[in-house]
This record gives sequence, C-alpha cells and structure tokens, in this order.
Amino acid sequence: MESMKSFFETWLTSQGHVLDSLTEMVKKYQQSCWVMGAEGAGAPAFGIFPNMYTSWTTAVLNALREKGAADTNLMQETLFKTLGGSNAYLNLYEIWLPLLKAIQGKTLSPDTYKDLTDPKKYKEMMDRVFGFDPEAISQVAVQASKFLEAFAGSAQHFMKPWAEASEKNLKTFPQMMEGRPQAYMQTYHTLFNAFDSTIGRIFHVPPIGKDREKVELLLRSFDDLSVYLAKSTEYQHTMYVTGLTALEKVITSITDKINRGEDIKGFDEFFDLWVDINEKTYFDLFQSEEFSKMQGELLETALNVRQHNFKLMELHLYDYPIALRSEMDDLYKTIYELKKKVKSLEKQFGEVPA
Amino acid sequence: MKSPCDTSAMKSFVIELGDISTKLIMGSKTLTGIEEIDVGTAPKELVYEEDKLQLYHYRQEGAVTCSVPVLIVYALVNRQYMLDLQPDRSIIRNLLQHGMDLYIIDWGYPTKADMYLTLDDYISGYLNTCVDLIRKKAGKSKINLMGICQGGTFCGIYSALYPDKVKNLVTLVAPFDFSTNDGLLFSWSKNMNADALVDTYRIIPGDFLNAGYLMLMPFTLNIRKYVDMLDLIEDKDKILNFLRMEKWIFDSPGQTGECLRQFIKDCYQQNKLAKGELKVGGRTVDLRNITMPLLNIYASADHLVPPSATKPLNDLVGSADKSLYEFKGGHIGVFVGTKSQKELAPAISQWLHERDGNGVKKKIPDIKAGRTKTEKTRQGGRSRTIRP
Repeated sequence: MESMKSFFETWLTSQGHVLDSLTEMVKKYQQSCWVMGAEGAGAPAFGIFPNMYTSWTTAVLNALREKGAADTNLMQETLFKTLGGSNAYLNLYEIWLPLLKAIQGKTLSPDTYKDLTDPKKYKEMMDRVFGFDPEAISQVAVQASKFLEAFAGSAQHFMKPWAEASEKNLKTFPQMMEGRPQAYMQTYHTLFNAFDSTIGRIFHVPPIGKDREKVELLLRSFDDLSVYLAKSTEYQHTMYVTGLTALEKVITSITDKINRGEDIKGFDEFFDLWVDINEKTYFDLFQSEEFSKMQGELLETALNVRQHNFKLMELHLYDYPIALRSEMDDLYKTIYELKKKVKSLEKQFGEVPA
Repeated sequence: MKSPCDTSAMKSFVIELGDISTKLIMGSKTLTGIEEIDVGTAPKELVYEEDKLQLYHYRQEGAVTCSVPVLIVYALVNRQYMLDLQPDRSIIRNLLQHGMDLYIIDWGYPTKADMYLTLDDYISGYLNTCVDLIRKKAGKSKINLMGICQGGTFCGIYSALYPDKVKNLVTLVAPFDFSTNDGLLFSWSKNMNADALVDTYRIIPGDFLNAGYLMLMPFTLNIRKYVDMLDLIEDKDKILNFLRMEKWIFDSPGQTGECLRQFIKDCYQQNKLAKGELKVGGRTVDLRNITMPLLNIYASADHLVPPSATKPLNDLVGSADKSLYEFKGGHIGVFVGTKSQKELAPAISQWLHERDGNGVKKKIPDIKAGRTKTEKTRQGGRSRTIRP
C-alpha cells in the first residue's frame, strides 16, 4: 500500500509543479504587460486580441468542457462507451493477473498485494471511470503557450522572453518535482497581490481604458485557473486514495474467501466483487459532507474560470459588428417580458386556446 | 488452505478475454446495424403549442371508462417518453388499455431565449394554460393531474395554488421534503452555488446534469453496464431496448436558469416547499390547500428521489382521502420495470376510476388493487397505504 500511496503523493507533487509552471508563466506575462503598459503601447499591442480569443478560449474550454457532449449519434456514442467500459474491464484484468498468480502461489495477502499492483495502470483505470482527463492540464499549458507565442509575435516581441520561458516549462511538465499545489497557489496569490499593488497600478492609468480591463481580466483568469487546478488536484487525489482503499478491501475479501476454503471462480467474479466494493466505498465518500463541500467548491472554481473567460471574450469582441452575450441577454429579457405581457393580455381578452 | 485456482482456471480467464473481444466485434456490428431507435410510439395528436412546450392528446382506440382526463406532467430533466419507452413496457399504453383519457406535456428543449423562465412561468403559465385547455376541451371543471419526479413537485405546487381545477392528484417519485440527505443529489445540491451556475451557463446543459447522475454509481454506470450489455449483443431486440434506455438517459434538455436557480435555492437548499414558505409568482404555496384525493407513489429503492423526500407529502397536504403506494424497486423501475406494468399502472387506473364520479367511488372489478391498509397521519386524516 505504501508504494501505491507514494505514487499518488508523487502525482500530487507533480500537479504542484504544473501550478509552479503556471505561476512562472503568469509572472513572465505580468512583466511583459508591465513593459507594454509602461510604454503606453496599448493600442498597437491589442491588435492581437483575436488570437487571444481563439487560443485562450480553446485552451480553457478544451480543458473544462464536459466530456461526451452532444449526442449527435447515439449508436456511435454507445459503441464508444462500450469500448470504454470494456477497456476498463480489460485494464482491470491486467491488474488481476498478478493477483491470480499470487493466489495460485498461495502468497496473496492484504500486505503483499501492493507490490503486485501497478499504480499507474490503476490510476489510468480510475481516470476512465471518473472521466478525468490527465491530458487536460497539459493541453491548457500547450494552448496557453501557443497563445502567448502568437501574442509575442504580434506584440512586437514584448512577450518573447515569456514565450521562451513557458516553452521551457512545458518541456518539464512530465517530470516530477517536490511541492504542493496549495503552496503554489498561495505563492501565486502573493505574487499577484504584490503585482496588483505595485506595477499593476500602471493599468489604472485612465487612458488605457478597456485595454487595461482586458489585461486585468486575463490576469484574473490565470488566477482563477490556478485555484481551479489546485481544487481539481485535491478532488482527484481524494478519488484515487478512495480507489486504493476500495482495492484493499477487495483483496481482504478475496483472502478471507480463500481462507474459508472457497474458490474464486473466474475473473468475472473478481470484477463483480471489485465493482460492488468500489460502489460502496465511493458511496460512503460521496455521502460525506466534506465531499459535498469539496465538489461544490470545485464546481465554483470551474465556473469562475468560465465566467472570466466569457467576459474576456466580450471585451475582445466588443469592437466587432456582432451581438455579444450580454447584449443578447438583454434582448432575451426584453422578449421574455414582452411575451409575458402579450400572454397576460390574451388571457384578459379570454383568448384561452382550445 | 485450498488453492482457489488451477491451470484450468487460467485457461478460463483466457477464454473470457477472447470472449469479450469477440463480443466487442459482434457488438459493433449489431449496433451499427440498427438504424432507428424508436421511442414514444403510442399514437398521439398535438393539440397545443406554446414556445417550446407541446401538449399531446393520446389516441384512445378503446372505450374511455374514466371520464375525467389525466394530464401527465414529466420533469424538466430528461424526456417524457420514458413513460412509453418501448411498446411492451409502456405505462402510457397500459393506462390507455385501462380506459384512461391521457394528455402529456412535452417541455421541449429550452434555448438561451428561455433563460428567464421562472418556476412561476412553468406552473402558473404553461401548466395552467394546459389545464385550462383540457378542462375546456373535455367540458370538465376539474381534471386529474399525474406528475412524475420534478413534474410531480410541479403538480403538487399547482394543486396547492389552483385546487379548484384538480380533481385527483397522482404523484410518482416526486420530491417534496428536500431536507433529507438520503439521496446524493440532495446532499450535493446543498453545497452547490446555484447563482454561479446559472449566471455562468444561463441554460444549464443537460450533460452537466448527466455527469452528476453518472457519479451516483460510477462503476456500474460507466463500466459494468456496458460490459453486461455485451452479453445481450446477439439479441437485436434486447440491444434495441438497451439503446432506447441509453437514448433516454442521454437525451437531456438544458435547464432554464431562473427556474433552476429557484428550485435549487428554495427547495433543495432551504426546503421552503415543505416549510410552507415557497413563493411562486408572489403567492405562497401552502400544501395544505391540496384537499383533493391524493395518490403518492414512491419507490422503496429510489436512489435519485429517496422515499424520505417523497413520503412526507401525505403529512403535508390537507386531503382527507390520501394514499401512499410503495413500489418495490428503483426510480427507473417505476416506469419500465415488469412490476410497473403488471401492478403499478393497473393500480393507478383503479385508484382514478374509483374517484371518477362525484364523490361516489366506482368499483372496477377486473383490475386488482392489491392489499391496502390505513394509517393515521399528522393532519388527522386517514392515509391508505397500498401495497401491491
């Protein structure tokens, strides 16, 4: 169990590294913004905002968008899910095989199984069950990096040092480093606050107007993303640890059975046992007030990212001849109120449909 | 200690592995060979449309023996065709065969243009219009309401606000007491920031809600269900039924923001409906105003809407004639289970037939009602418990 636990602890620290990279990216970005703001070069620099729109929204939405959206073809979807389910089933089979050998060799026990189970494979399977996307964070980083490259190019190389740094950080993503996400988040907040109260003030100079707003919102988005990633890491870590607890219960149940002289009839029996114990263990977790709170917080952090992202889009698209979200909201509100008035008048005139 | 496995066991594992691969290939073939997944096939006629709402009247091919029409109100979540998912397991067809005159509301798929719709718009707007229309069409001052899940809550609220228009109220697996934490959705909703959710999405995507439902039993719903499905793979009819259910599960309309905001905050988080504090369109909803006969159906193993959320309704209403029906099964089983067809639908029909006249209970001899017992309730009235 210790080796598996340490695997997930390492995973946790690697998430910390991702946040570290993000912090670094933001720091560089802030510096670049400062250069831009100090030179009063807002106008030409903001010509790149369409790039910002496409790259950043792609990055964030790709990472946060619900999986399995829009059932355009139910058959294909079902096939996909069946393959996914079967894949998880087969993954479990791979986990099961060494256990089977241990059973045959009469060496399986709640103490020895941990050396037989590949935690990486087990994590992959749990990712599949809960729809976690291990690539999501990397995707965010890749997209953010691409966006900033574009930003750098069109912002007359203001951003070049940042882009280089972020590319460098990106390469180190797979490597594991010490650290904890909460600590990184805290570091980031401190950095952000320091920035906001010092060089950030440059953005409060009146002529910058909407451009200042955009930059501030962008920084807020980075901040939100850090908070979301930290919460998401905490959430996933809880799920993985619960998975390990469940696996331990499965092994205990099997060894109890063996000790009673009963047979394990086949993989399907193991599979059923594994599903039942996992459902029960996770149900106990899900039922707790702590989990409910954590899930609520996770949702809120994800929604914050989306909200700021929407605001950013609006600011970027403001000068284009298209209707914005808030403008459409006003329109919908007006239509809603007018419809209500018409319906009320119709009722007054006794025009009940028949 | 006896060795549980020998080499023959190892062989059987290899066979299992080969078997699943074969089934996967066969499954792909069977699935791609099915062209249409037909649902909701009982004949019906569109009688009214308003915005996204459509009101249908089912064609009664036999004799109508229950003179008061029934308006079926489903939840805003998922689709009403669950009641007519497959021809041989259809509560709709079953009730039609028992001589009922049925209408059903299809709430449709809201778009952002509907984001400002409130609970009041659904209840005192759309639902009230449909009730008035059916009353006028049938020449009756009152009609029967049958509400399912959230639709049952809507019907309860409606009956409290407009008791003069409702002859009998039937609720199926409908939540009224939200203070419970027995169901995960109830517990999770209490820590959900409804304002942030609605302000971000406006129309809350169906997929968002589905992700929550899948989390209720993640291993069963994401893995076991599909692995088990492979055992049916060569039976096209069974696969078709599996796909009908899949279609229903993932056919989730978005939720209109303002309505959901109030439903989460006032009901799930503050339990205002049970407390008598809920306001709809400026009017306080007092469930004691429900004085018409009530049949409250709950499922004993319901993990979505637990009995602790449904059963208290009988203690909150003012009806003298109120019955509790315990369905032995889960939330979905109420609609498509064998027991649902054999026992539940006939029991609903019997209950409504008995209350079809003016205060005189009609007896329908060819429908079995099951055992009943009476119990005292807090309101002082008598509540019959019907056990099939």
